[in-house]
Amino acid sequence: MTPPRTLTAAALSVGQRVPPLDRALTAVSLAAYGGATWDWHRLHYDPGYARALRLPGPVVDGQMFGALLAEALMDWLGPRAFIRRLGFRMKGMVFAGETVRCDGEVTGIHPAADHDVVALVQRITVGDRVAAEATAEVRLPR
Amino acid sequence: MPLLTDELKSWIGREVTYPAREELGRASIRYFALAVGDDNPLYTDDAYAQAAGHPSVIAPPTLVVETCQYAHRPPGEDGYIGHEWLLPVTGCRLIRAGNEYEFFRPVLPTDRVSVTWRLAEIVERPSSRGGTQLFVTSVATCVDQHGERLAVNRETIVLQPLDPT
Repeated sequence: MTPPRTLTAAALSVGQRVPPLDRALTAVSLAAYGGATWDWHRLHYDPGYARALRLPGPVVDGQMFGALLAEALMDWLGPRAFIRRLGFRMKGMVFAGETVRCDGEVTGIHPAADHDVVALVQRITVGDRVAAEATAEVRLPR
Repeated sequence: MPLLTDELKSWIGREVTYPAREELGRASIRYFALAVGDDNPLYTDDAYAQAAGHPSVIAPPTLVVETCQYAHRPPGEDGYIGHEWLLPVTGCRLIRAGNEYEFFRPVLPTDRVSVTWRLAEIVERPSSRGGTQLFVTSVATCVDQHGERLAVNRETIVLQPLDPT
């Protein structure tokens, strides 16, 4: 099997957009992610618990955004890309039943000894509401 | 009265290690990818991953920094079984402010991951809702069975008073 090509820095330019990734985060998604990460906190699946905290519904685990941001980068850049750093700041909560979009763009391309490093900014939005802002550094083979 | 008491300050610098119990495993990797909705064959197809230069399937990048399983605690009232500091603070809700991950190599199903949590910082800052809130920053370092660093997760949680004063 030949895997899809991994992009090289030569194929990228500053300002280039990361193809957007849309994901509906249903009650099932939240329960599944909680199970897969051994995170059994009621905040992520129990509507009564959320109400008692004066929240409208179960809250998406912020680290799930990290998983989606990484997915968007790996899908785009290819299987030899290696995410060195990924950081995100939460700007607003996302609740069960909402659909998020991840997008972003290249902010820099830096050659290193035997590889290149691509710097990016990314965002998670729900409609026109920003849920998280992120920065990433990805190592690409030459 | 400040939220950041002397007692709370004494927690800064505390550290706890949760040792590996078993290999990460292919099932955990596939479960995570399925739960996220990530259909990248790097996580489920050995032949594909090997053609990309990996010894086998690898873990999705952020799986290694999801460390709830290592604490191995019974669930508390809120169901949580992962690491928590149980700081002496009441009447607050816990909100994630952000995470900064650093990764050192792809994680394999054969890796035995141990994690050390360190309470790096507690800062009290004004809240837009009035009063103040606490920003608690912890650093989780994940290593493999040889002590090689796999990832570092710098995580900041906000403790927000339910009734700001």
